[in-house]
Amino acid sequence: MELLIKNGAVYDPVNGIKGDKTDIPIKDGKIVASVSSKAAVIDAGGRLVMPGGVDAHSHIAGAKVNVGRIMRPEDTRIGIRPRTKITRPYTGYTVPNVYAMGYRYAQMGYTTVFEAAQAIMKARHTHEELEEIPIIDKGALTLFGSNWPTMDYVREKNMDKLAAYVAWGLLASRGYGIKVVNPGGGEMWGFGKNVTGLDDVVPNFDVTPKDIIVSLMKANEMLGLPHSVHLHCNNLGKPGNYKTTLASMELAKQVKPSRDRQVLHVTHLTFNVWGGTNWGDFESKADEVANYLNSSENITTDMGQLIFGSATTMTADGPVQYANAKLLHAKWANGDVELEDASGVVPIFYVKQVSIHAIMWAMGLELALLTKDPYKVLLTTDHPNGGPFVNYPDVIALLMSNKKRQEEIKTLHEAVHKRTKIPGIERELDFNDIAIMTRAGSAKVLGLLDTKGHLGVGADADIAIYDIKPDQIDPSVEHARIKSAFSSAAYTIKGGEVVVKDGQVVATPAGRTFWVDASVPEQHRNEMLRDIRLKFKNYYSINLANYMVQDAYVTHPNVVKAGAIPVEVN
Amino acid sequence: MAVITDALCPFCGCVCDDITVVTEGNKITDVKHACKLGAAKIMGHHRIKEPMVRDDKKGNFKEVSYDEAIDAAAKVLAGSKRPLLYGWASALCEVHKKGVLLAEELGGIIDNTASVCHGPSTLAVHEKGLPTSTLGQIKNRADVVVFWGCNPVQAHPRHMGRYSVFARGFFSDKGRKGRKIVVVDVRKTDTANIADEYIEVQQGKDYLVISALRAILAGQADVVPAAVGGVPKEQLVKLVDTMKAARFGAVFFGMGLTQSQGRYKNIDNAISLTTELNSFTKVVIMPMRGHYNVTGFGQVCAWETGFASAVDFSRGAPYYNPGETAANDLLYRREVDAALIIAGDAAAHFPANSVRHLAKIPVVQIDPYWNPTTEVANVVIPTAICGIEVEGTAYRMDGVSLRYRKMVEPTHPTDIEILEKITERVREIRGE
Amino acid sequence: MQTVTVKPRKEIRISVEAENISPDKFAGKTEKEIQSLEAWMGNEKTTLGELFSVKVDGQAPAADTKLVLEGDFSRVKRIGEGMTGGLIMVKGNVDMHIGAKMSGGKITVMGNADSWAGREMKGGELIIEGNAGYYLGAGYRGETCGMRGGKITVMGNALDYAGDHMCGGEIIVKGNAGLLPGLCNNGGKIVIEGNTSMPGSEMSKGTIIISGTVEEMMPVFRLEGAEALDGVTYRKYAGDVIVNGKGLLYVK
Repeated sequence: MELLIKNGAVYDPVNGIKGDKTDIPIKDGKIVASVSSKAAVIDAGGRLVMPGGVDAHSHIAGAKVNVGRIMRPEDTRIGIRPRTKITRPYTGYTVPNVYAMGYRYAQMGYTTVFEAAQAIMKARHTHEELEEIPIIDKGALTLFGSNWPTMDYVREKNMDKLAAYVAWGLLASRGYGIKVVNPGGGEMWGFGKNVTGLDDVVPNFDVTPKDIIVSLMKANEMLGLPHSVHLHCNNLGKPGNYKTTLASMELAKQVKPSRDRQVLHVTHLTFNVWGGTNWGDFESKADEVANYLNSSENITTDMGQLIFGSATTMTADGPVQYANAKLLHAKWANGDVELEDASGVVPIFYVKQVSIHAIMWAMGLELALLTKDPYKVLLTTDHPNGGPFVNYPDVIALLMSNKKRQEEIKTLHEAVHKRTKIPGIERELDFNDIAIMTRAGSAKVLGLLDTKGHLGVGADADIAIYDIKPDQIDPSVEHARIKSAFSSAAYTIKGGEVVVKDGQVVATPAGRTFWVDASVPEQHRNEMLRDIRLKFKNYYSINLANYMVQDAYVTHPNVVKAGAIPVEVN
Repeated sequence: MAVITDALCPFCGCVCDDITVVTEGNKITDVKHACKLGAAKIMGHHRIKEPMVRDDKKGNFKEVSYDEAIDAAAKVLAGSKRPLLYGWASALCEVHKKGVLLAEELGGIIDNTASVCHGPSTLAVHEKGLPTSTLGQIKNRADVVVFWGCNPVQAHPRHMGRYSVFARGFFSDKGRKGRKIVVVDVRKTDTANIADEYIEVQQGKDYLVISALRAILAGQADVVPAAVGGVPKEQLVKLVDTMKAARFGAVFFGMGLTQSQGRYKNIDNAISLTTELNSFTKVVIMPMRGHYNVTGFGQVCAWETGFASAVDFSRGAPYYNPGETAANDLLYRREVDAALIIAGDAAAHFPANSVRHLAKIPVVQIDPYWNPTTEVANVVIPTAICGIEVEGTAYRMDGVSLRYRKMVEPTHPTDIEILEKITERVREIRGE
Repeated sequence: MQTVTVKPRKEIRISVEAENISPDKFAGKTEKEIQSLEAWMGNEKTTLGELFSVKVDGQAPAADTKLVLEGDFSRVKRIGEGMTGGLIMVKGNVDMHIGAKMSGGKITVMGNADSWAGREMKGGELIIEGNAGYYLGAGYRGETCGMRGGKITVMGNALDYAGDHMCGGEIIVKGNAGLLPGLCNNGGKIVIEGNTSMPGSEMSKGTIIISGTVEEMMPVFRLEGAEALDGVTYRKYAGDVIVNGKGLLYVK
């Protein structure tokens, strides 16, 4: 199957193409050097062409998401589209059904999305849902930050067994990388408590969040995993937490990356760059964090941008969610997983005239605009915590247009002027920056640059064509057109097949699930398994034989190999 | 002879996964570790051998081939304006997916046995959420366990041993001795007999009692009368104190709350009580799900349609409104003009009104076993037994998903094969 | 003035979804146009004309449009949904969701109304001369607010959960109300002239006035004293104390 995309104004940052009219030859699902004259042709007509979007952090599948659906029939009944010959029904806005999840991402030109967090014990559920999400390629990050085996090995300072546990845990969960959420807090929430800082000691396990983060970073690099440790910092949602965030980022200096990427990815910073000491003097410290990023090379982040309107907060940070629910008098679902981690789901509505929300809205944008290198700040809304992913085009328009930002600021609570820097920021990102923040950068952060996030030979033929001509549009002024173009791709091509045309789904092939199979020395693995067997004998409520995710749940795997290699440690 | 270890029991929401099954040839000859209920299911009993049809429900069945039965079933459903696809709870998730698809294509309603069981619990979750955890959290941490309107000794025999009362864990090495067990019910059940404290509530008064507990917890005990629902105020105050003093409290509830006066509001109230207790200490709440995969149906239906049950696809998109779209709502109004009942015994558990209506409309039954629903069926299609002869996924009462392996090879087609064929035939009939 | 008379052509068993029967949808349309409006009966898409005889007299905007529904509409749902003005008179019984989300105009049901009458109502007036079902003037599952404005009057009885999650507006039940009226009341006014049980649970704002017998009082109200309303003396309670509620419950 050959396809040629002609006359596209291509933005391919990895290969240094910034709007040049470039042809893209595709054969058998891959981008190739050239194709024959028999190739089908799509004339992009001078319109914007980018690699398919890559989302490194979104809550799209698994127990939390489904609790969100079950808990919110009032959300499900929004955004309903009846079935067609090609598509199953769409439902939901902040918690879409599995079909809408895939279709809507594809309609925006996205082709790869990673589920931000799964507990090993509930990974089977995550994969059942991922299997049913059409079109997009996907993967899931596995929680390790409060697991009992993790904390045991961290306490014992046994890096070999920790690496073995991570490798085994990724296999057991068919996971792609190490996710750490409020490390140590997941265990403490088991009795309704929490850690309050990097140096708190987790009772019964005698480790600190700092130890956990550093040890897991080391294990990550020992295994040479494609992605780095992906960290949701402690103290999320507490005024003043930017200090914890900066201190967490400092820890990255203790480990060198084993690949050409960051050694720590710090996620959804909108919720973790909070200044002030209480709700009264609450302010944004995104500028300080941006400063830090500007002088560091080993850390990446993502925005977690706030979108006004309905959202559903869902995270493994159980204590935060309880606090949220109490504050908002909202319904609250909690789902702690034995020996592993916590979770909580709480609906929320972000309001322009609420000072806290207005300040939070500024934070993601400040981070992106004040950090010089777009590779360091990925575009996310921590869907659906900051807001549903269908709003990414709105964020793109805000980043590209100061005019739009100023118009928005006029409608917000005045605190946005006193407590944030956003009103004075004039920088406007260009298409190259956006292509980095939504494609090249996210692929690099995830360690997927060989096949995703670019349009060079060898890449998967995942391509988006948008209905705007970059040389004929001024994004600053025509931000509304930017938003509508990115909301509804003229073409989305997945693996060489047209899946979306003029914003409508025309084909629904199954995507692949990326997961990492990491090898460790046999001896370490066996020692680790002895410990694990004891955990199952004494503590887990199921048997080890029934724990691991079976092949049946990953029918289109894309296995990435990794393995223990020596790591440079300071 | 083969010995299968770590097998899963396909009976109740405990989904015990430590069962040992002994087989000889293609027959199960012994079951170890399962309770009486689970062992009986696994050992099996007399099954329907061949598909059967009859036009007159009062007449005898005629044995037919699978193709003929599938054709008859498809004809019944394809022409239906308001078909109901009901049951599902004793089937695996892979079957549920086929069911949702068929309901969607038919423009019918899909609902499951939760309708007469824990459906109210889901309605409560819409209002109040659900502060819960996996069962291992209770095994390892709980020192106070409350059973409200449920009787695990009878209905979930191994629950207390594996998870909630006798189990020992990391923080609960004393097992039973380190726990206080409280039973709240309308009469002294077998579970009440082994509890440390039994609180008797008058029939239908649970809602009031829970509100009284919440008022006491909120520091407003002075507005609570001397007795509520037959429970003296001192006993209520004591229960609140017990829960507050827990290091980790767990509340399990069952039909006593979901099916008595107040129904889903009882659960709603209990969930709020649990949430409010979390201001003082850690407390979780969990429904004692009956069938081993009723939870699974809710999960599959939710991720595919956004709603956990009672989904009406008449207009091409999911619509959900229990009280309007649940199985008995529609049967009571005699709106259903054809029914497919699979892996769930409607006739045994529905109100008389609903069963009377089922007796008047064409009914297709897909089930390995003869049961009261067979009495009202027109087309009966026997299938392989999920979880014993068919592998697949189920969700335990705490939402943990597990995979059932085959213990023996099937001697009948599977539910999935039958549903796929019916769906195909429906498409043919409709000319799609 | 535009008057449209609608009569069922035959007995309806499988309920019809007829959200197109509304002054807003009929205003300014001819008979033919109204007849071709969509309706659903189970999974069958049909037209209003297939199911009902339609007679149009005159042409006017919605506010001046009057619908007269003659016959048994007990299996016709969603009549008057979202209407902004005009009149609907149902000379018979009516099915669920009558007047749901209406923001203006007036509906009179001369018979009984099934459940969810006036669901999520924002304004206007709904009168039910017979009995109402469950969830009178209530919300949709999971929503924080049901009725936000407008007025519902039921001459007969209502079943459980009347005014569930009410945020505004007024409900008057001349007969009895079932269990738990005014649940989670957050600013509405509910008057029950007959008997009821467990009123005002989780009430945070609003007013509930009961003239009949309360079978069970919730153990969550603080007796404040007595107060006379329109010459009748009531015991006055404040609550629900659990939610720190500032609602007022008057019981004769």
